[in-house]
Amino acid sequence: MSNLTETENDKQEKTEQIDIPIDYSIKHPLQNCWTLWYFENDRNNSWENNLKEIASFQTVEDFWSLYNHIKLASELKQGCDYSLFKKGVKPMWEDEMNRRGGRWLISLEKKQRQELDRFWLDIILCLIGEAFENSDEVCGAVVNVRGKGDKIGLWTSDANNTNAVLEIGRKVKDRLRIPTKVLIGYQSHKDTMDKSGSVTKSSYTL
Amino acid sequence: MSRPTSEIKAIPRRIVISDPSDISGSYSSTPGGTLFSTTPGGTKIVYERAFLMNLRNSPISKTPPNWEIPNSIALNGNRNEKKTLPTKKSKPIKQITRSTNGFRDDHEQFQLEM
Repeated sequence: MSNLTETENDKQEKTEQIDIPIDYSIKHPLQNCWTLWYFENDRNNSWENNLKEIASFQTVEDFWSLYNHIKLASELKQGCDYSLFKKGVKPMWEDEMNRRGGRWLISLEKKQRQELDRFWLDIILCLIGEAFENSDEVCGAVVNVRGKGDKIGLWTSDANNTNAVLEIGRKVKDRLRIPTKVLIGYQSHKDTMDKSGSVTKSSYTL
Repeated sequence: MSRPTSEIKAIPRRIVISDPSDISGSYSSTPGGTLFSTTPGGTKIVYERAFLMNLRNSPISKTPPNWEIPNSIALNGNRNEKKTLPTKKSKPIKQITRSTNGFRDDHEQFQLEM
């Protein structure tokens, strides 16, 4: 009997130690359902076959559960991408939601590798937390891990919707704490496709 | 001829979550009290960065995902546990499991790095 009492006391003590300010027992719903994609650069496969749909989630907890159990962007092999898009939108230009759109492009220098994971997480939190006034215009985001310099793109659905594009761009710059003097550009997917040479012209710059 | 017109204003439906109590206890309704399933575009659920970060280490968030994760991107174990759990301090957790009736405790659910 004394054993039982001890266990009871133990239990009570342990319960008292746990002081949780947030209700962790519920899952917090997101406005949208989001899908994570992974692209691995395998030359034996077509581009589309290299693109894998990993998981879709629509609560904060399910997002973290996924994020906490996969590699960081900086831990991926070169040539790989993560993409996070609204469910139903494929991370490719051809998708109906992307066809007329474009992306805010954040190009990182080689030495900024340690910034990559923070930028990517902050972009994700903007997406799933609906940080943008014009969040209906947002399609998703892509991180490209590349030896010559990593890139993060935030994709929107209408390159001609100036107000929305600019609002989203300003917010990205603010949330990622990109210094004012560092410029980021918005390129329409059409211009990226039609480009001659290695540089795509920017439709907007902030 | 002219009559006074009222100013056009957007309906304020943007709801910012800054405190846990802003969240409805029911799955079927969104903060602000509207039905989750019947308000496409009607209510927007906005989460601040700090609030999202706060939920990162909740027990549910630490649970391994249900989806099959390809080996090329899977982590062994949980990133947070790896970083924050010193190797030998995991013992008290075991005791809690043992003293909680109703839970199977004869095998460990997770492999910890000892």
